[in-house]
Amino acid sequence: MAAHEILTATNAIVTLDVALPGTVWPWLVTVNMWAKSIGTGVIFMLFLLLKKYPDQAGKLRFPTTVVSIIFIHIFLLFTLADLHQPFRMWHIFFFPHVTSAITVGAWMATAFVGLLFLLAFLSFIKKDDAAFDKTLTWVVLLAIPVTLYTAGLMSQCTARELWQMPTESAQMILAALVAGSSFMILLSGSKLDYEAKKTLGVVLGLSAMMSFILYMSEYIFGPMKAEEVAAVLEYIKGDGPYTVMFWLGQWMTYLLPMLLIVLSRASKSENILKLAAVLALAGLWLVKHVWLMIPQLLPMS
Amino acid sequence: MQLGFLVDLHLCMGCKGCEVACKVENEVPLSTWRLRVKYVDVGTFPETKRTFTPLRCNHCENAPCQRICPVSALHYLENGIVNIDKERCIGCAGCVMACPYGAIYIDPLTHTADKCTYCAHRVASSMMPACVVACPVQANIFGDLDNPTSNISKYIQKNQGNVQVRKPEKGTNPHHFYVNGGNVTLNPLASHRGEGHNLFNNITTLPIGGHH
Repeated sequence: MAAHEILTATNAIVTLDVALPGTVWPWLVTVNMWAKSIGTGVIFMLFLLLKKYPDQAGKLRFPTTVVSIIFIHIFLLFTLADLHQPFRMWHIFFFPHVTSAITVGAWMATAFVGLLFLLAFLSFIKKDDAAFDKTLTWVVLLAIPVTLYTAGLMSQCTARELWQMPTESAQMILAALVAGSSFMILLSGSKLDYEAKKTLGVVLGLSAMMSFILYMSEYIFGPMKAEEVAAVLEYIKGDGPYTVMFWLGQWMTYLLPMLLIVLSRASKSENILKLAAVLALAGLWLVKHVWLMIPQLLPMS
Repeated sequence: MQLGFLVDLHLCMGCKGCEVACKVENEVPLSTWRLRVKYVDVGTFPETKRTFTPLRCNHCENAPCQRICPVSALHYLENGIVNIDKERCIGCAGCVMACPYGAIYIDPLTHTADKCTYCAHRVASSMMPACVVACPVQANIFGDLDNPTSNISKYIQKNQGNVQVRKPEKGTNPHHFYVNGGNVTLNPLASHRGEGHNLFNNITTLPIGGHH
């Protein structure tokens, strides 16, 4: 604890305090964030592909909508599972408190689900591509705040100094781009040619790079700004309890995919691109989990 | 009326009478506390002393728990108390994550958030909070911060320059003050937490409340 060494002259030791409440937001919340990144990310990517490669991407309208519906429901299911009183979830709609990011997020996620089902209807039942594309624009616009609201929620956690708003919102959007591009690389199969997949690879690589830069900036410079941030980051430094998981996540989600994307472009290998996508998707869970857990280890009293 | 609390740490002797009175009055379940007294040992033997710091909800004027609560289960009363409606709480634990003072917990019996309410039910009947009544040395002073003639206002005025709040940098404007507090007593990062030094270490694994 170099940054927080207690002065020898003081030598203050807590000899009696109550137990910490333990982990308040557990791995269920990690799954929540991870699944939501995929659910909104694939929508962003579908929009991009329809603009850039309309002929090929047309076949992805329905499969992408289904993937988004599945992962948004995983996100909602785990959100519900994390509540200690899940049967009171309806209170959010009947006793809403609009200063809470949870309330605003719940409303937006509900609207987002409704629009996703509309997309499914337009692509599968009505088979109206023009109406689908028009609706998709609105879905993409709504997907942005749906992605961001968790960053707002984390920033409302005054006790957790590590989670700052500008950084967290950037990380949430970048996570959606990483997850969305990775999932689309795997989902597209033979529907997209290598050029289109290369575009997805570029999105993955650049998002991974920007996200990695943000994490490293916080890792290096965060402790210079705030005492609590310094104390929290000790849990991922040295022999801290989350050091291994943190670096494993950074390598799997960002460093290795970046490297593999460069390799895949050099060798024109789709398989290497797919490997990058799988690593990024798995690693994103670790990265999110570490960042969720470490501020909860810090004693508040 | 804005009710507030003040603890004179010079008077507190760590008897935990307030803690017990709170437990009894509010039927606080095992393994949870609305109010607790933290002990910090300072110095090196034989030059040592023990400090006592009662910790409870700070009833902040700008309460993060109230802001983050999605269903207004945490809400302000007209007298400034941050109260909780356990029937409305959905147990999202957002308030637990938001409170910089670690004052909120998930009640293992009701599965809802709970915390000190300054004994709002007693205050409504013109009674003092249970912890104030139980304190044998009158270290707990409770009253109206808006009234310059109240005991708490006079105490704050008398001790100008020696009145602290916890984590003022958070901008929460606590309605809970300490007199004769210091870095060791009020800043959780200013003291070691060594394994094996805590009387309550063994109950951290009780399989109730929160996620384990």
